[in-house]
Amino acid sequence: MAKFETPLLDQLETGPWPSFVSDLKRQAEHRAANQDKIEYQIPVDCVEDILGVVELSFKDKEVHWKHGGIVGVFGYGGGVIGRYCDQPEMFPGVAHFHTMRVNQPNGKYYTSDYLRQLCDLWDFRGSGVMNMHGSTGDIIFIGTRTEQLEEIFYEMTHKYDQDLGGSGSNLRTPSCCLGESRCEWSCYNTQEICYQLTHEYQDELHRPAFPYKFKFKFDGCPNGCVAAIARADMSFVGTWRDDIRIDQEAVQAYIGGEFPPNAGAHSGRDWGPFDIHKEVIDLCPTQCMWMDGKQLKIDDKECTRCMHCINVMPRALRPGKDTGCSILVGAKAPILDGAQMSSMLVPFIKAEEPYDDIKEVIENIWDWWMEEGKNRERLGELIKRQGFQRLLHMTGLKAIAQHVQEPRHNPYIFWYEDEVPGGFDRDVTEFRKHHKR
Amino acid sequence: MADEELKQKVIDEMTKKSGSKTKFYFNDLAKIMDMKPRPAKKIITEMVTEEKLTFWSSGSTTMYSLPGVGKQTASEGESKED
Amino acid sequence: MAFISSGYNPDKPMEDRITDIGNRYYGDFLPPVIKNNFGKWQWHEILEPGVLMHKAESGDEVYTVRVGGVRLMSVEHVRELCEIADTHCDGYVRFTTRNNIEFMVDSKDKVEPLKQDLSSRKHNEGSFKFPIGGTGAGVTNIIHTQGWIHCHTPATDASGTVKVVLDDLFDEFQKMRLPAQLRISMACCLNMCGAVHCSDIAILGYHRKPPMIDDEFLDNLCEIPLAIAACPTAAIRPKKKEITSEKDGSKKEVKSVEIKNERCMFCGNCYTMCPSLPLADAEGDGIVLMAGGKVSNRISAPKFSKVVVAFIPNETPRWPTLAKDVRKIVEAYSKDARKYERLGDWAERIGWEKFFEKCDLEFTHHLIDDFRDPAYYTWRQNTNFKFTDPYEYSAIKAE
Ligand code: SF4
Ligand code: SF4
Ligand code: SF4
Ligand code: SF4
Repeated sequence: MAKFETPLLDQLETGPWPSFVSDLKRQAEHRAANQDKIEYQIPVDCVEDILGVVELSFKDKEVHWKHGGIVGVFGYGGGVIGRYCDQPEMFPGVAHFHTMRVNQPNGKYYTSDYLRQLCDLWDFRGSGVMNMHGSTGDIIFIGTRTEQLEEIFYEMTHKYDQDLGGSGSNLRTPSCCLGESRCEWSCYNTQEICYQLTHEYQDELHRPAFPYKFKFKFDGCPNGCVAAIARADMSFVGTWRDDIRIDQEAVQAYIGGEFPPNAGAHSGRDWGPFDIHKEVIDLCPTQCMWMDGKQLKIDDKECTRCMHCINVMPRALRPGKDTGCSILVGAKAPILDGAQMSSMLVPFIKAEEPYDDIKEVIENIWDWWMEEGKNRERLGELIKRQGFQRLLHMTGLKAIAQHVQEPRHNPYIFWYEDEVPGGFDRDVTEFRKHHKR
Repeated sequence: MADEELKQKVIDEMTKKSGSKTKFYFNDLAKIMDMKPRPAKKIITEMVTEEKLTFWSSGSTTMYSLPGVGKQTASEGESKED
Repeated sequence: MAFISSGYNPDKPMEDRITDIGNRYYGDFLPPVIKNNFGKWQWHEILEPGVLMHKAESGDEVYTVRVGGVRLMSVEHVRELCEIADTHCDGYVRFTTRNNIEFMVDSKDKVEPLKQDLSSRKHNEGSFKFPIGGTGAGVTNIIHTQGWIHCHTPATDASGTVKVVLDDLFDEFQKMRLPAQLRISMACCLNMCGAVHCSDIAILGYHRKPPMIDDEFLDNLCEIPLAIAACPTAAIRPKKKEITSEKDGSKKEVKSVEIKNERCMFCGNCYTMCPSLPLADAEGDGIVLMAGGKVSNRISAPKFSKVVVAFIPNETPRWPTLAKDVRKIVEAYSKDARKYERLGDWAERIGWEKFFEKCDLEFTHHLIDDFRDPAYYTWRQNTNFKFTDPYEYSAIKAE
């Protein structure tokens, strides 16, 4: 028997999309029945209380949670978000209901054994409600009491060799697309670099010393499946600098209609027969493709690697073999001065172990931002405040035309003194000898 | 200055301000110690392990305070014995 | 409920402590066919909605069945998907960035039984547990944030709004008949802890009233300087106030704050720092709809989403206006855009004035940017507009 009536939430049980309400009810029943005789460490009926408090929000159209300042386990400054219910008498099971972030395996592959271990731990010491996964990429455990935090951490580290993720003014849990594990377009091993940097920078991930949050994201190619360019302070996007590999026979097979365009992505509608001019050559943003008789030609020096032609004809075209990544910096959500996407910093860098060059770029940026970033200033905002030139200076890089979309619109250049012959100190008496007052 | 002196300086400075302000950003502490962020972090991390400092987090930003000082614990409805 | 220790000793937190071990190694979780062909994939094809085949240089094939996941899931749900993974996939499973779940098998004959198993599983009231789809030129899973389930500043619910929109667009999740992929994202307040600002369609929770001030209790519960410092627009100032006590009716002077309402952008940062500054409000809160963003570099550069509906009220439990407005956009796009054209590219090609006409959405003054520097660049500095009603002087003259 359900603890609370939930007439509003019940209306979210119908319709084809998986109902989170049905799922929560099932979890509530599972805990109530307790067939495995688990000694639940937080109230057995906490999931009933979640349903109750969310129903109340649906009725009031107002949230019923408060923030708490609790941060994590001993010695860590992140990984836990404090959460308290603002109706604790009505919903005692969720009166204290903190979130834990658990660092996901890169690429988000799992074995069922491992997932079950996490489930058992979380059912036993928490609500058994989780996010697979949170926006940053972590596995999120939703809802446990303060005294369980250390216990969960102890069990996780001792039994499952698993650590928490980041929150607060930390390096946030890095994330990546599935990369070379199953994508033919990946220009580097996104999972490996993500894994190695996660481990290299554990101190930055757990012990906050940054002005604000900092994110790394790794996309294997310019298709951008983890949205690195929009979401990460440092966005790593795979690219190549040699020629697109062409299989001319396969090109003909596309033209002849043997292979479905765009890997079959458009098969739900009749778009007519494939037309390589209309669908590929004319849509190439740099107009660097043409047919030479039966041969597809690409002027690779003009290609900007947008991926369109490759996406349309994956059996005929592949990225080149001399691959690496571009590093762009400074993306952030709109608050406060508007959203920013990452800006190009390093057009090409090899992404190979031990990643020394990449670490050098990272640490140069951190040194600058940690010292000169204001409290709660994201990297992108610091770059805006102090200027892109300053970013180049602090990372020891030369300005190149790839850094800009177009040159500046105004001539108000802040010349450095040492760039102007003779410097800024001048002799006004000498000047007056030739110019009357 | 020796590490221990620096730690005491941080505690003294935080205690002095505790009437009006109990939570400090990392950079505030580095400034008290007059150090660059990286070496400052080493000392602050030690202070956390020695239980001389604790964290407070808004979820998106983290701050440091002296243990047991500040009003937040009360408002969170979570006292020690609870 | 007896407390069971994990072995942790609260008196000696550093004893036996293991820290800084990071995440588990991804290589330990890869199915054999993935491991054997790592970095050696040649091409892939979407065989039907929700089913992908990747071909390796070795000739190996991996078949992936993608199903919609709800980001919020119980351990019972996860255990069920583990059972499916055990039955069909040698115990391996993967999640995508957009909260989908992928089951992989190494030969074609294993696909049909897996699909049947997945489609046959339904929740009590009939919704699918594991709907197959989310590939190609269609709508894939909506990524979202916490909402009323767990965060403290949401202006709307996340799981609920996502459920109704995906119920409504379920066909588009299971069919690949749109001009290009359509990425919908949801964040329940403007902090956007899940970034939605570069999505084809973004559903964003938004508050419209400045915080209330719980004067009598504020100084007991909050550190005033922290609340002041939390405000990104410097709208909060300290203020001594004369109040009548709610507790005993007495008059007294308290330390509190005042908020310059015209500066407030309703972000809730002050509430995070100070529980005496709540801002949730049944009438004030609701949804902003944005459209036309993308993150891929394909054909055109990544771009931000633009605000296309300034406010949609929180019509719980099924947000009919939200579902209707999203559908209007999807339908107009589906009908009018060219093959491979993303929603934002379509809107730019036809012009935003046409976008509003074709989607049957009203343009209001709220949609003209007035927030700081970038605003100017969004106004029109040319004469190349199209005529959509109203446009003539007499028609747009205020009454
Ligand atoms: S970002 Fe590129 S490499 Fe990574 S999964 Fe997407 S398409 Fe593949
Ligand atoms: S990748 Fe893009 S720019 Fe390069 S040839 Fe193909 S369509 Fe043209
Ligand atoms: S978007 Fe805002 S309200 Fe929603 S979960 Fe994130 S921070 Fe909380
Ligand atoms: S809601 Fe945001 S903008 Fe408004 S007063 Fe609070 S912190 Fe300032």
